[in-house]
Amino acid sequence: MALGLIETVFREGLIYALMAMGVLITYKILDFPDLSVDGTFPLGACVAAALITLGVNPWLVCIAAFLAGACMGSITGLLHVKLGITDLLSGILVMTASWSVNLIITGGTAIFQFFNLPTIFNSGIASALPEALYAHRQLIIVFILAVIVKLALDGFLKTKSGLLLRAGGDNSRFVTSLGHHPGHVKILGLAIGNGCTALAGCVLAQLNENADVNAGKGMVVMALAAVIIGTGAFRRLSFLKLTTMAVFGAILYKACLQAALLLGLPSTYLKLLMAVLLTVSIVSQKIGRKGGAANA
Amino acid sequence: MKNTKKIIAAVLATVLALSLAACSKAQTETAASPSASAEASPAADVKIGILQYATHASLFDCYTGIIEGLKNEGYIDGDTCTIEYVDGQGEAETNSLAASNFVTKGYDVIIAIATPAATTSYAAAKDAGIPVVFSACSDPVAAGLVESLEAPNTGATGTSDSLNFDAQLKMIRAFMPEAKKIGVLYTTSEANSVSQLKNLTELAPTYGFEIVSVGVTDASEVAAGAASLLAKGVDCINNLTDNNVVNNLSVVTNAADAAGVPIFGSEKEQVAQYGCVASESLDYVALGVTTGEMAGKILKGADAKTLPVAVVTDATPVYSLKNMEKFGLTLPADYSSATNMDE
Repeated sequence: MALGLIETVFREGLIYALMAMGVLITYKILDFPDLSVDGTFPLGACVAAALITLGVNPWLVCIAAFLAGACMGSITGLLHVKLGITDLLSGILVMTASWSVNLIITGGTAIFQFFNLPTIFNSGIASALPEALYAHRQLIIVFILAVIVKLALDGFLKTKSGLLLRAGGDNSRFVTSLGHHPGHVKILGLAIGNGCTALAGCVLAQLNENADVNAGKGMVVMALAAVIIGTGAFRRLSFLKLTTMAVFGAILYKACLQAALLLGLPSTYLKLLMAVLLTVSIVSQKIGRKGGAANA
Repeated sequence: MKNTKKIIAAVLATVLALSLAACSKAQTETAASPSASAEASPAADVKIGILQYATHASLFDCYTGIIEGLKNEGYIDGDTCTIEYVDGQGEAETNSLAASNFVTKGYDVIIAIATPAATTSYAAAKDAGIPVVFSACSDPVAAGLVESLEAPNTGATGTSDSLNFDAQLKMIRAFMPEAKKIGVLYTTSEANSVSQLKNLTELAPTYGFEIVSVGVTDASEVAAGAASLLAKGVDCINNLTDNNVVNNLSVVTNAADAAGVPIFGSEKEQVAQYGCVASESLDYVALGVTTGEMAGKILKGADAKTLPVAVVTDATPVYSLKNMEKFGLTLPADYSSATNMDE
């Protein structure tokens, strides 16, 4: 049984890892605190609910959710780059607007169920799995998805646009000197980040067979926690890529949550525990570096 | 670079392989465990998981009732069964994790309080065949939990709370014989509220009322919504079981008090604590007791697929003399036996 609980941790962890990898791009690479994630996570879920009810192939639904998220993300970017609104505020604006967009997609209900319809977890690849693996199909599917997204992001970061993206976070003047607009790089990064987030929302919705407009609450913090814990805990393992660290971070985060619940910690204390965990993780990274922790 | 890729692939593959191996081992372990646990505590074999969607007075009343109902059927925590209670804090993430934990731990029945907890639990439990008993779910058919109230046929069943609008409207008419317009403030994204408003609007003319409604989308709009409702010249306000509005009821009461408009509640706590004058209130403890007893019956072998959903509409009138005085209302003779919440 204990090992079955580990399967739950990995399954949940890998789903949120999709989002953590997206937030890695905006937060860690672009240095952009993107709050629109709170809105794009349920957006993915709502797109999933609406399209699956219409009978669209569940894998195509995943792509549609990614594109919808990317759309919202690029709006955050446009607000910031073209209209000169601060990064935090443009994220908040998109997060707020997403609420209405999500409700429009679900037709006005906060919770949209689609029980017993084909999802990525019960049709296609999943149904083709041999008997012995079928019980673990949820873990296998999310694992495959996480690997695809990880490899795609790694591949992208090596392309010319990817290199520009990495440069953009460190030194936007350098991007300008190469004859590129640093703003366009930001918009692209936000689109990818929010696309991944919406994909995570879409996969979670397909797993739970329902979409909840309120599911985005606290997603930014959760994704940041995964990224910070991942890059903090595994920073000495230099052969690991940032994306891998984000995946491990998300799994580690879920493991802590699970452990706390199993040890009988009342759910009231969960957020407090997470804040402490996050603080320890950040502080330990600062101490690891030369120059100390003082910020004053 | 290629090497790094290979290492990562290898690590991830090992992780997957390990967790898969872990799971298959887990199955044999659970198969062997009953004898082991039986030695430790002979009667604690039955395991019940209770998931409450959010921290909320009515939902907690429900939980209290469920424990009592289970006791009526002979299931006492730590004695004849093990009960694990999780309050999901209104977080989809916590609710979903708790529900999958119940399933992984192989619980015998999952009791879910409020619709979101019920749908999450049902999605997690249906493949494992663990019965889900829901409570305080206003429209289980629309939520996809059951095929019909009489024959659920899904593995989920439970109790549904339907507001008794006939009793409520009759009460408002008795309290305010001259009133014409009833104002309703509701949240457009809450499916329960939308369907309740529809029912109320259809019933109102029977009692000579007209319903004036204002929809809001979140907590920050409640104050503006209340103001615009009062500006439409309503004679009184009637609450639905709208989570958003009820959670921000003091905002509505302040505005209504200033305008001299009484509010009729949808639940007794609103009368006792939040300034409503009266209510035909559902008893959530009683709802919980019924739920607990249903779970007990399922544990004893009743089939969740055929056990019909129990719809609770029995309402008990309650009032607050203190709040009524503010609006110059007097207690109608028909309600002299109702409960005064001031005491």
